[in-house]
Amino acid sequence: MVSKQTKKVFDGMKCNFYTGLTMFRATTQTFPVEVTNTGESYPCAKNENLLRGMVRLGRRGIPVGCINGGCGICKVRILSGEVEVVGPISRAHVSEEEEAEGITLACRVAPRSAVVLTVVGKMAKPFLALAAANGQGRLSTQSKGE
Amino acid sequence: MGILRIGHASLRVMDMAAAVRHYENVLGMKKVMEDKHGNVYLKCWDEWDKFSLILTPSDRAGLNHVAYKVEREEDLDELQEKIEAYGISTTMLPEGTLPSTGRMLQFNLPSGHEMRLYAFKECVGTDVGNINPDPWPDDIRGAGAHWLDHCLLMCELNPETGVNKVAENTKFATEVLGFFLTEQVVVGPNGSIQAATWLARSSTPHDIAFVGGPRMGLHHIAFFLDDWHDILKAADVMAKNKVKIDVAPTRHGITRGQTIYFFDPSGNRNETFAGLGYLAQPDRPVVTWTEEHLGSGIFYHTGELVPSFTEVYT
Repeated sequence: MVSKQTKKVFDGMKCNFYTGLTMFRATTQTFPVEVTNTGESYPCAKNENLLRGMVRLGRRGIPVGCINGGCGICKVRILSGEVEVVGPISRAHVSEEEEAEGITLACRVAPRSAVVLTVVGKMAKPFLALAAANGQGRLSTQSKGE
Repeated sequence: MGILRIGHASLRVMDMAAAVRHYENVLGMKKVMEDKHGNVYLKCWDEWDKFSLILTPSDRAGLNHVAYKVEREEDLDELQEKIEAYGISTTMLPEGTLPSTGRMLQFNLPSGHEMRLYAFKECVGTDVGNINPDPWPDDIRGAGAHWLDHCLLMCELNPETGVNKVAENTKFATEVLGFFLTEQVVVGPNGSIQAATWLARSSTPHDIAFVGGPRMGLHHIAFFLDDWHDILKAADVMAKNKVKIDVAPTRHGITRGQTIYFFDPSGNRNETFAGLGYLAQPDRPVVTWTEEHLGSGIFYHTGELVPSFTEVYT
């Protein structure tokens, strides 16, 4: 049974069944993370990076790659809230200047408060994916994203 | 004569301790040495030369170079002449540039990737030795990878500007380095664009592969396992070690390989690849995959592309 009050919390966070389960089981504090590009919101534990928190709940919004700071696909700009860097970030993808402006990789920061972020990672499509997407005989080389 | 097999890969890592833990505990390699610059050298139990992986400390992930072993010292001189005649400049790095390794012929593939060829690396033997050996050693850890099997390099491909480094690499590798083509993906009008190729020097379906993408990079290095059961056990090992699995156990249509894709702690993609696939020979007809069956070629069971697999690399 879900109490009215709990349901209100769920609705407020756009939670689903799995999110609810993990909320009940959670022994560590969580903070809501909002992805402005899609309007998605999910709770992320303070001891977990923003991307792992999203993936573990089966949620979407931030592009998922290596989750280890190397591929750069989950590049985000933190619009509000506090995050803590929890691992090395590839300088091939985030420069020191960008990092100073609040740009980081979602897989390398954990929340210290409620976080609002926007995805800035480019999703340049490799040729194979394009070919498959375009189907037989038709081919373009457009890149999706910014 | 000529190239025998992949010899080693040199990878950039951002957290050395985590990287060594990964390659030792998950893949089952052993650290054999560390040099004064902090580079770490590792080998698999079934390899006989001193190392097959070099990890170098860096602020980013990716491939420094990939090296292939040739059979004889003279091969290096002959290949240097051929490569130079093809129009690609080379450098002969002196013995000792890498520890326990002879002179190395260094050059860049048309795609820009650095390749090195060498004839000598100190032979230390496999972990079971070569006198009345047991089939496997008692101290196997993790997935227990047998050997570094192949690498897949992402090469710039943009038909609008006429750039196709996959085709250029393939031409160079077959005409100059003596590789033979085993499989290819063709796309575009009448399949006129060679978008991915798999090439061999040994008798396995690929010792190197080239796939088109927006920029050059490393897609993965692969380690050999015996069979499907070992693949499933490797996935258990990855789960135990909280490794990010990119593609869970499945089969490739291309090469018939049984596979898992996953990331090292710096985001370099690894593969555990099982099975012989088939006997690759220079006279075996080349297998061609067309655009509309690309999904099945890559992931045979689902026939569907995985976005991160085709879009993410270092």
